[in-house]
Amino acid sequence: MAAPFTLRKIGVPPNSANLTEARRRVFDFFRAACRSIPTIMDIYNLQDVVAPSQLRFSISAQIRNNAHVTDPKVIDLLLFKGMEELTDIVDHAKQRHHIIGQYVVGEGLVQNTGSKDQGKSDFLKNFYTSNYF
Amino acid sequence: MALRNALLRHLRVPVQNLAVRGSNQSQIGFLGSMRAFSSHDDHLSKQDVVDRVLDVVKSFPKVDPAKVTPEVHFQKDLGLDSLDTVEIVMAIEEEFKLEIPDKEADKIDSCSLAIEYVFNHPMSS
Repeated sequence: MAAPFTLRKIGVPPNSANLTEARRRVFDFFRAACRSIPTIMDIYNLQDVVAPSQLRFSISAQIRNNAHVTDPKVIDLLLFKGMEELTDIVDHAKQRHHIIGQYVVGEGLVQNTGSKDQGKSDFLKNFYTSNYF
Repeated sequence: MALRNALLRHLRVPVQNLAVRGSNQSQIGFLGSMRAFSSHDDHLSKQDVVDRVLDVVKSFPKVDPAKVTPEVHFQKDLGLDSLDTVEIVMAIEEEFKLEIPDKEADKIDSCSLAIEYVFNHPMSS
């Protein structure tokens, strides 16, 4: 069994010179996040709620959201914010409902089957989801 | 002294049992080469590795399970992009409890390379 992965907090590295290096950093960040998933599931007791593959999928979806960016400095800033978020989560500075709300339900992976909404009208269902319908 | 020799002459054990014990000896020798508590020969079989890697690839949500074969290329045949390739490699790492260094992980581009890497890695389980 491989040794458990520990997130090393390095200071801010210099800006990436070109898009290739920024790409490499994105993949390194993604691998670090995926390797921290067992720790995260252990800290927040997510074993019954979500599977590691779903968490990987939601992390990659968030990265893919910004896939259209071409400026290496902007990519560096996004990676900095991503690393900050990952460090907060691994340090247990967040709580379980944050993780579930932002990374599990937020991507539509776990359906909210609240029993009080069943049988109500379509008007109310639309009203709960947004202001415009 | 003479009494002792006389007594021993009466207590000589016949030697013919040795031939029978000899055959038992060879059987014990064969059993001695099978170590019950050793973990030296518990490497995964190639077919096992192939099956598990294909299962991992098929359960990826963006992949069409019908197209997955042991020689399929992730980006050319399955239409995935580089981030998906990294994600599949991470899924394989999780399945086989490995930790693949970045340089090796960048080279894994297709199912056949992944199967080869996992099969040759001594720590896969």
